[in-house]
Amino acid sequence: MRYVVGYSANARGHDAVNLAVSLALGRGASLELVLVVPEVQQFGAAHAPRVGFEHLLNEQAQEWLDQALALVPAGVPARAHVRSGDSDAHALIAAAEEFGADLLIIGATSSGIFKRFSIGSVASALLHASTVPVALAPHGYHRQEALTRISCGLGTRAGAEKLLDFALGMATNRDVPLRVVSLLALDGGDAAGAASAAEAAREYATKHLAAALPGGEQDVREEPKTEVVVAQGRSIEEAVDRLDWEDGEVLLIGSSRLATSRSIFLGSTANRILRALPVPMIVVPSDYELKQMNHSASNDVPREAQK
Amino acid sequence: MSADHAMSNTSQTGQHPGQNTEDQHGLSEKGLKAGSVGLIGAVVIGVSCIAPAYTLTAALGPTVAEVGVHLPAIFLVGFVPMLLVAFGYRELNNAMPDAGTSFTWASRAFGPWLGWMGGWGLVAATIIVLSNLAAVAVDFFYLMLGQIFGNPDLADLTKNLPLNIATTLVFITLACWISYRGMETTKTVQYVLVGFQLLVLGWFAVAAFSHVANGTAFDATAIAPDWFNPFAVESFSAFAAGVSLSIFIYWGWDVTLTMNEETKNPEKTPGRAATVTVLVIVIIYMTVALATLSYAGIGTEGLGAGNPENQGSIFAVLAGPVMGPFAILMSLAILSSSAASLQSTFVSPARTLLSMGHYKALPKKFSRISPTHKSPSYATIASAVAAAAFYVITRTTSENALWDTITALGMMICFYYGITALACVWFFRAEAFSGAHAFFFKFLAPLLGGVILLVMFFKTAYDSMDPAYGSGSSIGGLGLVFILGMGVILLGVVLMLVMAKVRPEFFKGEVLSRGN
Repeated sequence: MRYVVGYSANARGHDAVNLAVSLALGRGASLELVLVVPEVQQFGAAHAPRVGFEHLLNEQAQEWLDQALALVPAGVPARAHVRSGDSDAHALIAAAEEFGADLLIIGATSSGIFKRFSIGSVASALLHASTVPVALAPHGYHRQEALTRISCGLGTRAGAEKLLDFALGMATNRDVPLRVVSLLALDGGDAAGAASAAEAAREYATKHLAAALPGGEQDVREEPKTEVVVAQGRSIEEAVDRLDWEDGEVLLIGSSRLATSRSIFLGSTANRILRALPVPMIVVPSDYELKQMNHSASNDVPREAQK
Repeated sequence: MSADHAMSNTSQTGQHPGQNTEDQHGLSEKGLKAGSVGLIGAVVIGVSCIAPAYTLTAALGPTVAEVGVHLPAIFLVGFVPMLLVAFGYRELNNAMPDAGTSFTWASRAFGPWLGWMGGWGLVAATIIVLSNLAAVAVDFFYLMLGQIFGNPDLADLTKNLPLNIATTLVFITLACWISYRGMETTKTVQYVLVGFQLLVLGWFAVAAFSHVANGTAFDATAIAPDWFNPFAVESFSAFAAGVSLSIFIYWGWDVTLTMNEETKNPEKTPGRAATVTVLVIVIIYMTVALATLSYAGIGTEGLGAGNPENQGSIFAVLAGPVMGPFAILMSLAILSSSAASLQSTFVSPARTLLSMGHYKALPKKFSRISPTHKSPSYATIASAVAAAAFYVITRTTSENALWDTITALGMMICFYYGITALACVWFFRAEAFSGAHAFFFKFLAPLLGGVILLVMFFKTAYDSMDPAYGSGSSIGGLGLVFILGMGVILLGVVLMLVMAKVRPEFFKGEVLSRGN
């Protein structure tokens, strides 16, 4: 199994490497650190040499990647690659496809002052076009140990089953508990209304979780510990704030219905969750083929969600 | 992309077991996809580097001031040394492609000291042109505001010194910021800008000739064969000054010759593109030069091209009377082309400084590349500061800053092109007589070109000591152009000596060795 890490030689890149290590540890995945350098254009520069500059740029990129590899602990296999492209996001997606990666990991930004997450331009471009799940490391993410819990944000729209499948697979494979999270924003509303909304959400989540669990037939593998929580707040942000988050937790969410099939589009709710979230978030493209094996570069190991 | 795949298969010898880095050899083959630029694309790149609308408005006046009606002759003759030097430039670029260009080549040929000065000349020339580009953009920015709101007072705001300097600094800062962020003008934008410039210049010429035909021209002057005779220029001083100015108008043309791997047909496209580019440029220069002279004459009164008032930026004055209400198109063409050039030219000194930092000829911080934007960070900002400082100094000391900077710029280009051309001759001296091709392209052409340019440089430098030279500004009895030109070169010498003390490796020849 392979994860592609979008690296840049700044705080954002370090966040991404740390998250990648922490995700890889539970799954024995290998990391492909990709540093994108801009395609040096002939159209954009007067009186300026192109070839030699590319050489210097690549030399520097190589040096940065050596530093990046040094951040990866010895137990995690990692390789480094320089890619060039007009757009960082497109180059990363191309690399993810080339390596048959199961996950693309990037730092969300390095300039979030008040909130941990404020999406950088690369992250935002990726979230609109990626065909593989994208993991976003929050600002200042420094943990390198394996995950301790997986949360899955459940909406009420179509595709929830697939996302739950994915989350369940992830939790099973990593042998960590799964928490299904329903976030409710209640504008005003009386206590009774809030309670019934919460009840409805809990019912919905429980029903879907039950459907996603393999049920009667006992597998060789153990079922993960599961729980359902409903968080309420005047806003989505407040609901997120009210939940307890473990340091070693990630939140999985599905992409918006606006997304074209197999690519990610971050909906407005997800965007708001992201702003308040203290832990990494993994955004899964709509219709992402969870059990697809045929184009995997690593047929010998199960893919991320393989149960 | 085939190179990518090959490199991913390198052996597993990293710092950690199971890790490795890609072999860095061959990385420079990546970047712009091979074969992505066709003939038209290459011509567009060439024309956009020359930026004819900006070049003409900046250089036409000063050149008329030197050579009068022989402007067409000088524009034609000026191309010859450019062509000769460009041949040598191409040979060096093929043998040693490097971001430092003149700096690296002259260091390899002549050793660190002359190499450093070659690099300095290139950096200085691009920094001077940056300040001029920004100033021209500002002039036309206010002119356009005046045209949009039908209020000539707005156009005159550019003559308000503090406001002018402030606006120019804003333009330079913006262009620097865009460069720092690593954003580049795209192909589509360049096509539009180039097309628009040629169209508007053509329009100007047609409008000027029709005024002449209708008898409504300011000072209708009949075109005479004598205009094309370079030997009719009154003095060698005027001739040298004219040629060093016309080097400026072709500056950037050499880029078409050095495009190889990125063209669809590397055997033929660069040569054809260079030819087509120069034809386009010569035709547009000739047409506009003849149109201007026929319409306005070289009188020193009113709209005359000989009027010192008009010479800093000729189209700012002539576009209105010639094109009527459509003069706004000229403002737009020059504003857009000089703003685009301002941004794209920023890349040049930044990359040269980066390269000089890399080879330890400058403090280490010049070799910094921004981890976020992957552009030369320190070098870009240093270039902007230098361009801003140069502009402020010129603007406050000169009666006509645009005119004097262009004259100083012509000198500076002659200086570093001259050194580069002779570096070619010296570097390839062993193979100069190995065949007809080598003899012509590696020896004869660059030798002639280099000698011509250095002669022009010394002659112009000597003449510019006269306080009446250029726009007639002077400090302490010496012409301002001399002070600007020599001051910049002397500053280079001083900085070089300081660097040799602070960071001696490069100057001991330990970094870039001479010869093959």
